[in-house]
Amino acid sequence: MELFLQQLVSGVSIGAIYSLLAVGYALVYSVYNFTNWAFDAFMAFGAFAAFTAILWLFLPFWLAMLISIVLTIVLSVGVEKLAYSTLRRRKAPRLFMMISAMGVNLAIVNIINKIFGGTFRKFPIESVQPVFLGGVSIGRMDLIAGVISFGVLALLWLFLYRTKWGLGIRASAIDILTASLMGINNDAVAVIIFTITGVLSSVAGVFYGIKYAVYPMMGIVTIKAMIASIVGGLGSLPAAILGSMLLGVLETLVSGYISSSYRDLFSFLFLIVILLFFPNGLMGKSGEEKL
Amino acid sequence: MRNTSKIKWMGLVMIVLLLATSVLSSCKTEKVLKIGFITEQTGVDAYIGPASVPALQDEVDRINAAGGIAGYKLQLIVYDTRSEVTDAVAVARRLIDQDKVVAIIGPSWSAAGIPLADIADAGKVPMIATTASNVNVTVSESGVLHPYMFRVCFIDPYQGYAQADFAYNKLGLRKAALLTDVSSPYTVGLHQFFEKHFLELGGEIVAKEGYNQGDTEFRAQLAKIKDSGADLLVVDAYTYKDVGLVAQQAEALGLKIQMMAGDGVFVPDLLEMAGPQLEGAIVTTGVSEDSPQFADFNAAFEAKHGIKANIYTYYGLDALMAIEYAIGEAAKKGEPTPTAIRDALETMTDVQLFTSVVTMEPDTHNPHNKPLLIMSIKNSQWELVETFTPK
Repeated sequence: MELFLQQLVSGVSIGAIYSLLAVGYALVYSVYNFTNWAFDAFMAFGAFAAFTAILWLFLPFWLAMLISIVLTIVLSVGVEKLAYSTLRRRKAPRLFMMISAMGVNLAIVNIINKIFGGTFRKFPIESVQPVFLGGVSIGRMDLIAGVISFGVLALLWLFLYRTKWGLGIRASAIDILTASLMGINNDAVAVIIFTITGVLSSVAGVFYGIKYAVYPMMGIVTIKAMIASIVGGLGSLPAAILGSMLLGVLETLVSGYISSSYRDLFSFLFLIVILLFFPNGLMGKSGEEKL
Repeated sequence: MRNTSKIKWMGLVMIVLLLATSVLSSCKTEKVLKIGFITEQTGVDAYIGPASVPALQDEVDRINAAGGIAGYKLQLIVYDTRSEVTDAVAVARRLIDQDKVVAIIGPSWSAAGIPLADIADAGKVPMIATTASNVNVTVSESGVLHPYMFRVCFIDPYQGYAQADFAYNKLGLRKAALLTDVSSPYTVGLHQFFEKHFLELGGEIVAKEGYNQGDTEFRAQLAKIKDSGADLLVVDAYTYKDVGLVAQQAEALGLKIQMMAGDGVFVPDLLEMAGPQLEGAIVTTGVSEDSPQFADFNAAFEAKHGIKANIYTYYGLDALMAIEYAIGEAAKKGEPTPTAIRDALETMTDVQLFTSVVTMEPDTHNPHNKPLLIMSIKNSQWELVETFTPK
């Protein structure tokens, strides 16, 4: 029982990180119908920004985190202006935007690699002893990461469902052309969406860096988040969170009780089975109302 | 009208280019031998290669400044593998087919070494793997020697044997848990040999867990290992990141256990990543950066290039020096062709390379009886426990 609880705690803490990333994918996908592959580069960038601020500028953690969020927003919006909105304006097919995103991703990751080198670094923050509940250990950083992750997601939910701007974004998600005819400023929607993407990837990057390590290729994990958002139901925020939690817990339970060597094999087989029964994902909607 | 002038311009440019190449090629009177270097500059293993390139280039410059080898100047051609086997295969083909190198240094890992051995054989160009320690890199699974594949490091059975021996006899441990990177022939091979010898000695393997390359989450496996009551955790990971993360997550789970790892993780970065968590851990390796024999080299290298040399740098230099020796031997008998260089490598006896004096075993293409160091981590520093020589 203790072992089971321990595995569950680990699964949820992994799921929390997947959630932030999956929501970022879902948001961009629901409005622009393309997968923002540059997301993993944003995540690595966010982690390195905070890392550099602490190590080289000797800033406290919260300030470093803030700087990281601001810089990642600048990067994210910059990439949108430079690489995506230009293509959209020229009516390029969706596939081309995805290829453009892959290019941006490779470029940013390689620049980070060139500047910082490929080594795995420990995030410069005091490691604290975990809390023990019975025999189950819960990392303090996992708790903080979990609280902040869900705080950010709750704020995002409030923004999308309780503000006028949120309504605009949800309208754009249903049909961006009609929304713009109704007077919603497309450019402003794009800036807001990529600002949110920047915040999400920066927070995910910093906590992933603290939990594991900071290195240029750390964004590889976003592929899992992408899968989680598809299984949950692409284009929906609660679905992205559900998919992420499911994947996180599934992975640890498979490792714990079936086979750790074939964790991905069994986890993904299970996900394929889910998709067979729910082709639009667990909470997927077939178009009328997204987000 | 515009078109004709365009064609004229293009014609002119082509004539100039043709002239330039013919002039350049007629300048090339000195004899140059090209040596290929397959290395990890980017990708997940990007920490391996960067120091090796300037180190090897320095050595090539030194040879050329001294007049080359038997009148032959050397040229180093470096390609990045992006830490991917597919890229390693592509660049090996390019080195052999397009660049016409006489010998190749690399790769550094067994998963690439095994397919590259076939490419070296087919292209008849000798290749010296630096740290690829799986048996099948030089000898195929069916027991046939790859005639053109060599290596300058010791092989997995030897290291796995030494680890089991040390754990059982010196540390007195009886219950081992293995955490294996199932996608790495290096880790799988090492653990097979560890298990074999540990069981022979009378020990017990109480948990066998696995993970895949690139994984960062090990708590599910560690929770099971904690449950198994093991007193030794062997993680012969190929990448130090894995051992660093395992140590951090073991601490987070409250798992206190003797850890052991192989030469794949013997880089200073490991100590920066998880020094305190790895206090007391045992790491086996062929060479140590802290060894006094390299102190002068390390200091001069860091001063010149601003980066630290690591064991991959040393093994890269070992391979280059073996090639230099073989070119010299081959040149004594005639033209130093790739085949002549191969023949000289195979019969290399007591040749001083960068790390040690090496004799090549002709039937396995492994260096004979390379000593192995057993290191321990004390206060986030490496400390030599003992030197192990095979029987």
